[in-house]
Amino acid sequence: MKDRQRNTASFRDPSGFVFQQDEILYRQVNRSYQHHYDRLMSSGLYSRLTKAKKLISHEEADPISDHDAEVYLVLKPETVEMISYPYEWCFSQLKDAALLTLNIQREALDHGLSLKDASAYNIQFHHGRPVLIDTLSFEIYQEGAPWVAYRQFCQHFLAPLALMAYCDVRLQSFLMVYLDGIPLDLAVNLLPARSRIKFGLLTHIYLHASLQKMTVGSSQSPAGNKVSRNGMIGLIDSLRGSINGLRWQPEGNWGNYYKNTNYSEIAANQKVRIVKEFLAAANPTRIYDLGANTGVFSRLASDAGIFTVSSDYDPAAVEMNYRQMLEQKETHLLPLVIDLTNPSPAIGWQNTERVSFLQRSHVDLVMALALIHHLVISNNVPLPVLVDFFASLSHSLIIEFIPKSDSQVKRLLSTRADIYSDYTQEGFEQAFARRFDCRRSCPVEGSERILYLFEQSKA
Amino acid sequence: MDHQIFFNLHKTMGGFYYLDPGSGSILLQMLLAAILGIGVAVRLFWGKIRSLFTRKSSNSDKSTEE
Repeated sequence: MKDRQRNTASFRDPSGFVFQQDEILYRQVNRSYQHHYDRLMSSGLYSRLTKAKKLISHEEADPISDHDAEVYLVLKPETVEMISYPYEWCFSQLKDAALLTLNIQREALDHGLSLKDASAYNIQFHHGRPVLIDTLSFEIYQEGAPWVAYRQFCQHFLAPLALMAYCDVRLQSFLMVYLDGIPLDLAVNLLPARSRIKFGLLTHIYLHASLQKMTVGSSQSPAGNKVSRNGMIGLIDSLRGSINGLRWQPEGNWGNYYKNTNYSEIAANQKVRIVKEFLAAANPTRIYDLGANTGVFSRLASDAGIFTVSSDYDPAAVEMNYRQMLEQKETHLLPLVIDLTNPSPAIGWQNTERVSFLQRSHVDLVMALALIHHLVISNNVPLPVLVDFFASLSHSLIIEFIPKSDSQVKRLLSTRADIYSDYTQEGFEQAFARRFDCRRSCPVEGSERILYLFEQSKA
Repeated sequence: MDHQIFFNLHKTMGGFYYLDPGSGSILLQMLLAAILGIGVAVRLFWGKIRSLFTRKSSNSDKSTEE
């Protein structure tokens, strides 16, 4: 058997699984799934969804049938630039993933098919929009059958979005703890009474949770168990209305980034010019922009066609970033909510099912602009530790040094003892010299800050 | 859990439900589908009626549809 590595998240569905061989990603389709797959392809649903870029496209490959009697076909799907997980998305990313799922279910019904699961992990962001990546999620629709994935949809999408809209946007991180979505009874315990006014939430969350509780341990099948096709359509429409009605507006003035930060217009333009120059010198193919805020500098790279993950720990900043990405139809950006002091860990079955953020992907350049004072001073991460962190991430680094004379740093130091004796330009350069060579450095005219382009020294 | 319906579906389709849909969830779907399904049927019905009228008014000849 050739070098075949099964994907650690792909094991529950008997219809097939994802594996990697010789660096290429494949999806095996098992014989038990044959009729459903054939219907997906012959009904026209596959071509309709892939044309609309709602489903990931694939090619059919040779089954390599020597080792598996179960195999019907092997698919070679188009790959996504970077895998991300629902607990890393901003509100609108989760909302758009939810709407896409319902949209696909509605179209599937028109073609005699239905989604057999509605997990948020089946959706990924690809070229700037959500897309369904699990091709084996479809099954032949049986008139009268209920939607098997309804409970999962409510837990993965409706409950978390409702909690974010009605309680606190930070409750999204519950998705990291509850891998199969937020339990409905937990959502009921947290949601405020006013959420009951909405018919959709009243039924799909509150009533849903009550009925779940009532039928625990019951093995009796509900009499009749018929859900008509029109009834299913009504259900999907009702869910769609409920999701659409959930809104979250970030507080504060996000109009002009520079009004609220430390840059004069001159300094801001200078910084843009320098970063552009450094990017051209480094010539990267994939970038992490850490502490990217609304992605102003991420866009210097993504607009040039370089795939850029634009991450920030503030969900409001990522939300504004994502909205702008949609508006401008950008295709090389992926905004994500990541707390650098506690990035998404590896979780799930055997703690390998969902990969940690730091292990997930490899980039050749990291941007750390207007960031390190938050890490060194606010978070007490010593410079040498920080240097090793950056060295573990990428070959090249564009980083901004913000000295103690800068007003923002002064503000940080006003409420704590200044124990940061090596936090000076000299200390900074010395710390980085241990692992990196300085290719470029340039002070930002109109400010106290200095930009550096570092490259890892040969070992 | 609703074994009966899944056994039947499994037999006819050779498919394999790995996800637990939940008895409470199925019950709720039946309730909601019954109510909401009426709304969908009415919408489709009125859509057909309306389209009949717009066709009549745009045709110079008598409508041949029943």
